[in-house]
Amino acid sequence: MTMKKILVVDDDADILVLMQLTLKMHDFQVEVISTWQQINETITNFNPDLIILDVSLNGADGRDICRTIKESPLTAHIPVILFSANAELGKNFKESRAQAFIAKPYELSDLLKTIKRNLN
Amino acid sequence: MQVFTSVLVLGVFIEIFIVNDINSHKKRKANSMIGLAQVVSTNSISTLRFQDNEAAKNILSELLNVAPDITHAVVFDSSGKIFASYEKLGADSLTIPATLNDQEYVYTEKQLYVKSDIVNDHDRLGRVVLEVALTELIDTKAFEYKLAVTLFLIGLAFSFFVAFIIQAYISRRLLKLVDVMKAAGETGDYSKSIPDDGKDEISVLSRVFNNLMQQVSENQRRKDEFIGIASHELKTPLTSIKGYLELLNGVEEKEPNKQFVQKATQGVHKLEKLIKDLLDVSKIQSGQLELNKQEFDINQLLDETVASFQIVSKTHRIIIEGNPGRCIVVADRQRIEQVLINLLSNAIKYSAGAKTVMVYSKKNEKDLIIQIRDFGIGVSKSEQSNIFERFYRSKSNSVHVAGFGLGLYICREIIEGHGGKMWVDTEKKGSSFYFSLPIINI
Repeated sequence: MTMKKILVVDDDADILVLMQLTLKMHDFQVEVISTWQQINETITNFNPDLIILDVSLNGADGRDICRTIKESPLTAHIPVILFSANAELGKNFKESRAQAFIAKPYELSDLLKTIKRNLN
Repeated sequence: MQVFTSVLVLGVFIEIFIVNDINSHKKRKANSMIGLAQVVSTNSISTLRFQDNEAAKNILSELLNVAPDITHAVVFDSSGKIFASYEKLGADSLTIPATLNDQEYVYTEKQLYVKSDIVNDHDRLGRVVLEVALTELIDTKAFEYKLAVTLFLIGLAFSFFVAFIIQAYISRRLLKLVDVMKAAGETGDYSKSIPDDGKDEISVLSRVFNNLMQQVSENQRRKDEFIGIASHELKTPLTSIKGYLELLNGVEEKEPNKQFVQKATQGVHKLEKLIKDLLDVSKIQSGQLELNKQEFDINQLLDETVASFQIVSKTHRIIIEGNPGRCIVVADRQRIEQVLINLLSNAIKYSAGAKTVMVYSKKNEKDLIIQIRDFGIGVSKSEQSNIFERFYRSKSNSVHVAGFGLGLYICREIIEGHGGKMWVDTEKKGSSFYFSLPIINI
């Protein structure tokens, strides 16, 4: 079975390292980026099966980026999980056509459950 | 108050006017009677000289035509004996006040007495004394008082009428101000202002109030912004800490290292709850606690919450009694769960040593009442009204229980936001926390 590929976008370096470690330990192939400008290029090169996207990115709103991903026929099929430390921002996550929202600090079990549910 | 003062001043002025008028009337009367007495005394010189009583009497009786209010007129001779007198028909007997000897005229309650000495070539031949009835003066006085009372009443009615109109105008504006204040207090929306371009005190008050509202609104916006940023900035490192601890917990097998990791994780959970509570309080205070209401069976939620709580609690058994079956409410499921968790964890925290926590669910026509009863230290009567206040910590506890004193405040606000009530009762041993929620009868 091939390893599923997950792209994580967050402007906090600590979170990125943590996500990388956690997901690798749970047998995912991980790519992390800290600037949203690289996202299109990374999607093309890495071709992820799932994207975990922070809502409050430096200079951009993760919900808008999610909408753009969902509008492009090339990337619309990739499930997107939004996550943020501000739980309020997750209230209307469906409007940006994301599959799920996770509030930080998250429970590891919740994160893994949500990832697995959306990969299948 | 202003009306009362004006009326009082009006009354005093009317009284001064009347007293002044009566006094000048009295003086005029006395002068005219003295003049009359002098005429009589001049005319009486010859009658006294010639001892002609009849002529003197005639002179006196003629007075009736000149001044009909004269009741007695007497001419005394030089020895003080009555020389001639006249008495008006039906008049009372004459009593001359002793003080008349020293004064030109004397007023008694109903009469005026005047005198005039009869003098011829420095020779005092006798004296004329007139007694005048004061009916005219009494009538004038009565009339003036009647007029005063009428004027006073008209003035009173008028000032009340004017005050009523002004008051209605002032009250309307003040009530509008109060309405906006109340609405701001209840909804937390401080963005409203009161348009008032006038120049009076109420307009000044309105402008000051508008400025205040603007400041509050601006401060609230800044506070919300701060809380948003603070909560984000606090939660981001907490996410890292929590995540790494979870990783460590997964890989660490050795004791006591694993125990240390678990202790640290517990600390993180507490910190996480604290941040959530502070955020909730600030939302409640700024009226931004949004309830995502939907229909659900609250007794099912109660069963689920108790079941998952039972897994964590190793010290207490949580027993549900009197579950009346399916009970649909329209509420925010997550928030009600938060209330249940808070009350259950309090029941356990404050009853160390006890083994059970009882949960009762009762239904009446309109509400569902949930009671969570512990067998712990209880809540003293004096503290019952305080424990739902923010940052209130029980002072009677001998045992230190960790917490910020926000849980019950948040719980009550959540329940009241649903149209329910929350209260506490002291039991023989321990305490009972209750909350009610309106139910939908299907």
